[in-house]
Amino acid sequence: MLPEAACWRRPSRSDAAACAEKDRFDGTCCIIEPVTETEPPRIVVSGLTKQFGDVKAVSDLSFTVEPGSVTGFLGPNGAGKTTTLRMILGLARADSGDATIAGRHYIDLADPTRMVGAVLEANSFHPGRTARNHVRIYCTAAGIPTSRADEVLALVGLTEAARKRTGGFSLGMRQRLALATALIGNPKVLILDEPANGLDPEGIAWLRTLVRHLAETQGCTVLVSSHVLSEVEQTVDRVVILARGRLIRQGTLEELASGSVGSVVARSPDPDALRAAVGSIGGDVTATAEPDGALRITGATPEQVGRAAWSKNVELHHLVGEQASLEELFLSLTAHATLHAPPSPSPPAPS
Amino acid sequence: MIKLLRAEYQKVVTTRLWWGMLLGTLFLVGVAVAAQIGTNGLARSAAPPLSTGIEQRSIFGTSAGGDIFALVVGIIFITVEFRHFTTRPTFLGEPHRGRVIFAKIIVSGAVGFVYGLASIALTIAIAVPWFSAKGVTIDWSGNDLYVVMLAVLAVVTIYAIVGLGIGVLVRNQIAAVIGSLVYLFVFEPLVAGLSHLWSWLGDIYEFLPGAAAQAVTQIDNTRGNTMLVPWAGGLVLLGWGLLFALLGWLEAVHRDVP
Repeated sequence: MLPEAACWRRPSRSDAAACAEKDRFDGTCCIIEPVTETEPPRIVVSGLTKQFGDVKAVSDLSFTVEPGSVTGFLGPNGAGKTTTLRMILGLARADSGDATIAGRHYIDLADPTRMVGAVLEANSFHPGRTARNHVRIYCTAAGIPTSRADEVLALVGLTEAARKRTGGFSLGMRQRLALATALIGNPKVLILDEPANGLDPEGIAWLRTLVRHLAETQGCTVLVSSHVLSEVEQTVDRVVILARGRLIRQGTLEELASGSVGSVVARSPDPDALRAAVGSIGGDVTATAEPDGALRITGATPEQVGRAAWSKNVELHHLVGEQASLEELFLSLTAHATLHAPPSPSPPAPS
Repeated sequence: MIKLLRAEYQKVVTTRLWWGMLLGTLFLVGVAVAAQIGTNGLARSAAPPLSTGIEQRSIFGTSAGGDIFALVVGIIFITVEFRHFTTRPTFLGEPHRGRVIFAKIIVSGAVGFVYGLASIALTIAIAVPWFSAKGVTIDWSGNDLYVVMLAVLAVVTIYAIVGLGIGVLVRNQIAAVIGSLVYLFVFEPLVAGLSHLWSWLGDIYEFLPGAAAQAVTQIDNTRGNTMLVPWAGGLVLLGWGLLFALLGWLEAVHRDVP
């Protein structure tokens, strides 16, 4: 069950009163009028900086998230992802720099609930309030009919739990409820902070379908944060990689993959001879022994290794090129940033 | 603004807090009023007779005894949002945080008003049949009982607003509730006691929130301190309410949302 493009509810009684005040009623359908923003719903972050005490949580961060695509916002825990999202959403103040959605700061959006839906950590519920009442409150605040609550709860598969207090909800149910709350205004921009946390594999697959659908058929701008690339690899078109509050890399998954370094695994009954042969290739070639006796060679192509073995008369039983997985690449990129982080001022060495 | 007021109203009625605290209020007021009427005329009671204006005013003023619950409801109404992070969806829906705080101030005051009305209704329900059983007439206008009831409404309403302001400032629910109770039941009585030693302290004491609230109803002056006249006490109390609300408003707008 996925939302239709513009028609987000069909009132049972054919009257316009069942539509939200900002909707147009065409006889069968409440149609969301395009939001008054003229700019496309692009997220632009430029030079964003935020410091907590002595710690720079985010430093001079700039990136863009385009409409009609899903962008993965990646980085290890503590990289500053959540802080950045909170600054985009106007919940936290930036020390310097700017974040805009459709060319406006969040606080200046004409109708934030219909423009942006956000899920920040799925624990924003009063435990004594039912899921349905929770969603209805935010419908009321945004001027959307409270009947919309039942629709979004059905969309995320919480119809049966709708009248239960959220205190007894599992993490997966909380994620779904937070997502339902974010979707009440059929927003153009969706910002999800670690949405896969607590979801079962079925829930993750469902979320992936929903997010792809919103981006592809409705042209939504979707920004999904995660600390595990493999979690979002199949969902995202582009990635923005962050470590220690700094931008490491941004671009499409293909662009990311093309920068990765491959290696060659070769096996010979005479490993020492093979190692010597590989050494003759020249250049920056390294060979390390794998636990099973094979050699892992970096800095050379399989063709180069094969030719070197053949010319030195080394018997080969196995020769294969391996591309580093995106996850390995992601880990090496963010680890690199950790190693090369600006050194903290150290006390002068004793003379 | 209407949308926000309705959303805040929905927040109040969709959890059990409001009626739990209302039950507490009514229990406290009911017991206090019944005890005051019941013990009147007993051999050891020093209270003036039930027929006197001062005693009738005192009994009806006792309806304000639930003001502490209104204060706590006001505190919880906002701190529960910080505690469970519902401030996030709230401020995402309305990024102009001042408007949200303003709606909360109005709704919190309305809840206090309802508590005040309920307390007065209970007091009337207890006092009227009991007085007539004792054959004592209640002189509503002659004894200014209407004024006392209005004063009770004002005190309970303003206390709920003060509570909201404290809640926005302190954010931590436990600290805000405990701090307020310690202030009202330990700190102010201490100042009241010490002001018998130093008279200048008494001049300050009159203007503290608890003392101002007592001045509005002109009852419960067990500490023997001087009090402001009722309307001045009302203005001072309102001033405290507005001060806390304003400080809370400024804080909410400028601090990061947790």
